[in-house]
Amino acid sequence: MQRFDPLRDAKPRMMEYAVPRREGMTVLDALLYARDYLDHSIALRFSCRQASCGSCGMKINGRPRLACYTQVAELGGERVVAQPMDNFVIIKDLVTDLESFFAKHREMMPYVIRADTDELEHPSAEYLMKPEELEKVLQFTYCIKCGLCTSSCPTAATDSDFPGPQALTQAYRYAMDPRDEGGRKRLELLDSVHGVWRCHYAGSCSYVCPKGVDPALGIQLLKRHVMSGKTPRREGAKVFSAPTPQK
Amino acid sequence: MKESRLMLIQYATAVVAVALVSVHLIMQGVIYPYTTAISFSNILSIYNNGFYAVFLEALLVVVLVHGFNGVRIILHEIRQTRAWGTWVDAGTVVAIVVTVGYGTRTVILAVFGGSPA
Repeated sequence: MQRFDPLRDAKPRMMEYAVPRREGMTVLDALLYARDYLDHSIALRFSCRQASCGSCGMKINGRPRLACYTQVAELGGERVVAQPMDNFVIIKDLVTDLESFFAKHREMMPYVIRADTDELEHPSAEYLMKPEELEKVLQFTYCIKCGLCTSSCPTAATDSDFPGPQALTQAYRYAMDPRDEGGRKRLELLDSVHGVWRCHYAGSCSYVCPKGVDPALGIQLLKRHVMSGKTPRREGAKVFSAPTPQK
Repeated sequence: MKESRLMLIQYATAVVAVALVSVHLIMQGVIYPYTTAISFSNILSIYNNGFYAVFLEALLVVVLVHGFNGVRIILHEIRQTRAWGTWVDAGTVVAIVVTVGYGTRTVILAVFGGSPA
């Protein structure tokens, strides 16, 4: 695995650890074994161990993956190479700084925006989406913000102001939500020199996503709306009256 | 100008350039043999055809706008400072104006019988 402490090392170096293999062992299991029994100074980030939290994103055998979702057996061979994600600043070893990643996510206003803020905070009824409306955005709601898409993005590698596949996909997800009224605001934000147009459709983000999200598709659909300057035509979410309590 | 408008121009010029360059290559490589097509006298005679002169002017504008706008995009991705962005945008406009102007001068001189050299 790659070791690097920016406070002490001039450049990253590779270290090798021999880990006893067992059936069903994930790369995260192997790394934790190395940390617990071979070298306590190894730094890695993890939490849920079930591909839900997105904490253990790293480059495994050259491809961005979740360590907890990658079995050693599926990689083939006796050697597994673990490196930190590309396009992020390394804090230590396999731990990368996701601050700018989350900042870009926040810039996209990843929440439902409505003019009636009072209604938003104290809803008087349920706002339901039609199944076909939900279908348009459903896959994009599966994003766990692991950063693997941004790590694989060639534009993110050179353009530090580019929002990245994750943030752009979330912008699309909320712009398409029939309950949302902030679509135009988001589209204007993205129509900039470092915005949505800097995606050149390499598609690597979709290739590496561990949750099956297709950010490249979301970004291309987003481009269509940014180009036309129009948010999708919608009838508005169906409003159901709040159920009256029965005695 | 909004980036979406610039990208619309980029896509439109790409499509038009494919058509124009294809016709140009067919004219220069298939209809006329390449060796005679690039002779000075042959090129001058082509400019005397008003339709082809307009065609070459269109080719000039479309290809230069597409090319320089493409370079602008690449340069924006290399560095992200405000000053760099301003210089890149201004430089792109200047480059397009100068090269299109010089090319147009050549076309006009050739059409009206002057020496384009």
